[in-house]
Amino acid sequence: MKEIKVEHLARVEGHGAITVEVDGRKVKDVKFEVLEGPRLFETITLGKTPAENLSVVPRICAICTLSHRYASLRGLEKCLDIKIPEKTHWMRELMLAGEAIESHSLHVYLLALPDLLGYPNAVAMVTKYADSVVQGLTLKKFGNSIMELCSARATHGENPIIGGFGKFPTNEKLYAIADQAKTLIPYAEGVIDILGNMQYPTFFEKETVFACCNPPDNQYGLVSDEIILSDGKKFSCEDYTKITNERVVPHSFAKRSLYKNSPFSVGSLARVNNLGDRLQERAGDAYEKYKNARWKKNPVYNNLAQAIELLYALEQVPVYVEKLVELKDPPIVKPKRQSGKGTGAVEAPRGTLYHSYEVKDGRMAKVDIITPTAQNYEDIEKYLRLAAEYMVSEGRKDDDVRFQLEVIARAYDPCISCSAHLVKLVRK
Amino acid sequence: MNPEDRKTKQLPKVGIYGLTSCAGDQLTIVNCEDQILDIFGSAEISSFLMAKSDNTEGEIDVAIVEGSVSSKGDLEMLEDIRKRSKVLIALGNCACNGGPQAACVAAEDHKERMKQVYGDVKWSLPDPIDAKPLSAYVKVDMQITGCPIDKWEFLRALGRLVKGDGPIPISYPVCVECKYNENECLLFKNEMCLGPITLAGCNSVCINHNIPCFGCRGAVIEANVAGEAEMLVNMKHPQFPDRKNFDYQDVKNRAMMYGGNTMAELLDKAKVKGAKK
Repeated sequence: MKEIKVEHLARVEGHGAITVEVDGRKVKDVKFEVLEGPRLFETITLGKTPAENLSVVPRICAICTLSHRYASLRGLEKCLDIKIPEKTHWMRELMLAGEAIESHSLHVYLLALPDLLGYPNAVAMVTKYADSVVQGLTLKKFGNSIMELCSARATHGENPIIGGFGKFPTNEKLYAIADQAKTLIPYAEGVIDILGNMQYPTFFEKETVFACCNPPDNQYGLVSDEIILSDGKKFSCEDYTKITNERVVPHSFAKRSLYKNSPFSVGSLARVNNLGDRLQERAGDAYEKYKNARWKKNPVYNNLAQAIELLYALEQVPVYVEKLVELKDPPIVKPKRQSGKGTGAVEAPRGTLYHSYEVKDGRMAKVDIITPTAQNYEDIEKYLRLAAEYMVSEGRKDDDVRFQLEVIARAYDPCISCSAHLVKLVRK
Repeated sequence: MNPEDRKTKQLPKVGIYGLTSCAGDQLTIVNCEDQILDIFGSAEISSFLMAKSDNTEGEIDVAIVEGSVSSKGDLEMLEDIRKRSKVLIALGNCACNGGPQAACVAAEDHKERMKQVYGDVKWSLPDPIDAKPLSAYVKVDMQITGCPIDKWEFLRALGRLVKGDGPIPISYPVCVECKYNENECLLFKNEMCLGPITLAGCNSVCINHNIPCFGCRGAVIEANVAGEAEMLVNMKHPQFPDRKNFDYQDVKNRAMMYGGNTMAELLDKAKVKGAKK
């Protein structure tokens, strides 16, 4: 018996490890381990005010900070019976588009592309792929600038608050980002072509179930109170436990999710698979050009899906800006009640994120947060197992096995510091 | 540094590490899009797990560590980093103050909270430990705080360090920057603002957006925490009939959100008039 181990999964956010137990040419066990300390976020805000909760929960994750903030706002505003005005709604959509641009460009260009082109990191790619690196950094910076404009900081900005925004940006600044978004569209189209024309390994392919938010009016989007599954079933986000159905396993502090007893995937690939037909304009063209039955069974296509969503988000920025500049800055909407329940669902870059709350007399009484990585965990392990079994049975070298497993794990863009429930696992 | 020097002179070795946190401070480094190539050019980044795969773990000149110590694994890693580094920098609120995960320290039993989140499970893992800042376990040479860190403060510090200089610590509260920015004081608007006791360096970004300071950079040196708490629980004034007093527990909750143990100790020592403890 021996172990093939990826001790520190690099180019992901947080600490992860993969362990494969091998007996001859048979795989005994595959574990995707999370080496991240417990943070117990769901107990931090109990007894505190909703404003306190809103400030601290985005700190679960630096990359998805605004998704957490948006999901939290949707949950809290249901609890407090707040209906937000139109301008606030579009500002929130804009900030989420900014986050998608930032997160997807970081992952596609700087974390995943080195794998696909055979480099240890993005800086090393500069000699041969300087254009790609510079374009990636430019897009990421642009995404950050939208997040900064909407939330006051690139990370953990406090400007979006319950009932509105502390301050709305000026129309001049909004026009400037709309103009810049248009100029960056060719970059996204370029990386879609790179990823779309690449050959991907097939030996771990297997169909899975995909879940994502189902935006109203047959639109593509990142926000909804309804969840749609690839088998066509729909349900309200208030019933999120039907799908997330978390279970705790003794060898991992990460809670895990199953749908009808099978693992499922959330994230870009899930959204593009479930809602891709709704994509319009150039993102729609890119989808039509590259759509492929293998998307339903190969997680490595997640990078291409992210690139298509990057293009979608860039095209949405001017659309949101057009709406925002026409509207007057509304005042903050005050809570109508101090007790209530509610769940907010938002598509974070890595998948559906749920924040479910109960507020009693103006203090947090229940907090439940389900992160995308917690939902993907089981499926990541499934694909790692499939890949490991095949490669070990073929007698491939440990280094090859290690590299291929890392590529699969990284394709999911696992956000390991999403440690609302993700806790340290023993290092063997 | 000019290219000729770079060939002959050995660059300082820098390792960037993360313990338990949201990785937001390392992300802020990655977010230095215009400077990231210069960062990799001015120092030998021997380890930066979040950004690269070819990492080596040996003797280093500067260790930059994000995150709180929240597990035995974190502690082992930190002790190892300390042993092989000349200068150790605590990066961000979690490393400097314990972070939000330290907000419940002293308030509730850690085991009880583990049970609340995970249920009654018999773990095959060693017990995780309560979140603490780096300085609780090892010597910390310099702190760059904030949730997240300010990118420019980091770049200035790194620039000085790779040239062999020491850091320039900030010694004044957020209010100083807020005044420079000519904001109207939010305390007058009956907001629970922690600006007077919070370390500056953020350019009062929240107050610039009409949002009160949550204290994400931790306590400023010699913070008058008792004075701040006393003011917040006694906001009512004959001249301002609309004002309301804040509940002492709410003030304490907010101060501890990012102030962790330091704030808890300062509040415990303080005798706050009008506070129902």
